[in-house]
Amino acid sequence: MRIKRVAALAVAAALSVGLAACGGDSDEGTGAGSKSFAAGSTMEKLNKAQKIKIGTKFDQPGFGLKGLSGKPEGFDVEIAKIIVKELGIPEDKIEWVETPSKVREDSIVNGTVDLVAATYTINDKRKERIAFAGPYYEAGQNIMVRKDDSSITGPDSFKDGTKKVCSVVGSTPLEEIKKHVKDVATQVVPFDTYDKCRDALKQGQVDAVTTDNVILLGYIAKDEASFKMAGDNFTKEPYGIGVKKEDAAFRTFINDTLEKAFADGSWKKAWDNTAGKFGATLGNPPTVNRY
Amino acid sequence: MSTGEPLIVLEAVNKWFGPLHVLHDVSLSVGKGEVVVVIGPSGSGKSTLCRTINRLEPIDSGTITFDGRPLPAEGKALARLRSEVGMVFQSFNLFAHKTILENVTLGPVKVRKEKPAAARERALALLDRVGIANQAEKYPAQLSGGQQQRAAIARALAMQPKALLFDEPTSALDPEMVGEVLDVMTSLAREGMTMVVVTHEMGFARHAANRVIFMADGQLVEDAPPAEFFANPRSERARDFLSKILTH
Amino acid sequence: MNVLIDRFDVFAGGFWLTFQICLLAAIGALILGAVVAVLRISPVPPLRAVGTAYVTVFRNMPLTVVMFFAAFGLPALGSNADFLRIPLLDQVFSRLGADLPYFRFALIALVLYTAAFVCEALRSGVNAVPPGQAEAARSLGLTFGQNLRHVVLPQSWKASVVPLGSVIIAMIKNSALVGFFGVAGDLSQSADQLTSAEGYAFIPVAIGISIGYLIMTVPLGALLDRLEKRQAVAR
Repeated sequence: MRIKRVAALAVAAALSVGLAACGGDSDEGTGAGSKSFAAGSTMEKLNKAQKIKIGTKFDQPGFGLKGLSGKPEGFDVEIAKIIVKELGIPEDKIEWVETPSKVREDSIVNGTVDLVAATYTINDKRKERIAFAGPYYEAGQNIMVRKDDSSITGPDSFKDGTKKVCSVVGSTPLEEIKKHVKDVATQVVPFDTYDKCRDALKQGQVDAVTTDNVILLGYIAKDEASFKMAGDNFTKEPYGIGVKKEDAAFRTFINDTLEKAFADGSWKKAWDNTAGKFGATLGNPPTVNRY
Repeated sequence: MSTGEPLIVLEAVNKWFGPLHVLHDVSLSVGKGEVVVVIGPSGSGKSTLCRTINRLEPIDSGTITFDGRPLPAEGKALARLRSEVGMVFQSFNLFAHKTILENVTLGPVKVRKEKPAAARERALALLDRVGIANQAEKYPAQLSGGQQQRAAIARALAMQPKALLFDEPTSALDPEMVGEVLDVMTSLAREGMTMVVVTHEMGFARHAANRVIFMADGQLVEDAPPAEFFANPRSERARDFLSKILTH
Repeated sequence: MNVLIDRFDVFAGGFWLTFQICLLAAIGALILGAVVAVLRISPVPPLRAVGTAYVTVFRNMPLTVVMFFAAFGLPALGSNADFLRIPLLDQVFSRLGADLPYFRFALIALVLYTAAFVCEALRSGVNAVPPGQAEAARSLGLTFGQNLRHVVLPQSWKASVVPLGSVIIAMIKNSALVGFFGVAGDLSQSADQLTSAEGYAFIPVAIGISIGYLIMTVPLGALLDRLEKRQAVAR
């Protein structure tokens, strides 16, 4: 009996090695124990478990958008895949969890996800509860206006109290633009989606839509006849990878991985295949902030 | 009592409740000062007949005229006509949120635009007349059934109506209270009030009515002075009906 | 829980705005609801049909859809709902008179939607009055309006108070939607601002928001209970 069981295990192991070998390039070097990590680290645990839960957005074109394939696609998703590969876990073992802005911190703190890559702006307030690796992209808030409107050139155009601007409830850009308007009650229009903002802009109910440049670029790409950007980014929104606050080793690992991706071209490739299609320029890689 | 001049005239009145033919070609004329008692088995249409006269029930065909004018459609004109036709209901229907006095003055003040003081004075006289002046400030629920029905009669009289309709006024009363209500009705009849009374009180029909109408299955079967009707009913149905109620 | 103290201004501002919109919407819905209820019980068939159609439409449509029509349909029809810029009232409720129409749009949506439920609450009260009461009033010669005013409504009020209260309380909670249709800074939106944009933990913020709503709904419920008891004693 004992001998039979050992033999069965050996066959199973051989099969799994064989299967892994058949996985092709992208799964090269995956499987439990395929990489060596410090004992007890998050990396080791994930590698041993051979699965990972990643929070991303399912509704953000270019970054994390769940389409017909049933799996999210976008720049955030590609970055996450680069990290997962470095952990020695095959891509198909990723469990994608939708993390809208509201739940990102809680999802990390509660352990619902192992990491979050979801157009996640690094800021001090958030650092009180979680930690950020990266940044891996520097977005910035910008303003979209109607094509024929030259009266708005930047956030200061809202100072005289007449221009109305739309953004999404609970977003950082909404709070940011509140600082530039004269009267929030009569100038700031919040909706639940950017689509509604776009419609209100097209109808003339508002004069501008403001949020991160990459989102606006998506809308302009779809309707260049109606919309244009008004001026340059006026904030710096460095996108980072959210992890547990106390997990410094995991953060360092991700930072190393990002730097490697910056250097070997996989970072640029990920961009060109996703958000880059909207015509946004990528520029030089940002400097990873190892705080 | 009757002057012979018709006050209420129904001609070929028909009414259906869905498939049910509740009034079947009913024609009837009630003269000024006349007291007409309508009797008949339950479901015979007698209550419906009574309620068509002030158009609480609209009719499907035929004509009804009151004091020479056909009943108008729902609206101000009908409201004016109704104010001239008093109605007393089986279940009293006193306004539950108003005192007895307020019940009696509401019509005169709101419909006739009488001065409240004058309306109040007359209301108190009417309540005295029906024997419940001491109940004026009470609410309906505090009164006995007989007292409530007398208050309802006072309320109807306060509008100084040309005619009074009674829809089974004593049917909801305890037996010991029937008398006090019938007494008031009898005295009204003696004073020459035009009355149409739907009732099962054969005693009242016998000595207060000028005519008795017998209805069955939505049809007006007999129309005769009470002495003649009770002594010698012509139709089989009337004989049958009388034998059933008079043996008890 | 520091967020409750540190960002008290956000909660207070949100509360004040939600309170304003609820107060105005409640007044509007009670008036419109009463009108629709009168239509629904009127003796004139076409008016009844109008009332019934109104209730059918607005009671069965999701509030978000009504809000959407108000926020995007009205401007498409060229209306800025300027008729709601009521002098004096817009001194107290400054957004009523603002150039930006979304406060008015949201108000219109809440009023239209809630009025259907107010109508049904009032009508259930009217139905609770024995039909003999209205018949007696009619037979005295009272007109439809007099009948309602002097006989039916005073008695229906008692049966309407409790369902009406539920309707208004539901409306206060429904008002949380206005923030998603162009009105900046209501109570629910404060939660989104503090959690999503500023990164505060969700639970303490949710507690703060809940307190804000409870401050409005609990006293209203208590007031209605008292009204109901007082009416009961008066009988």
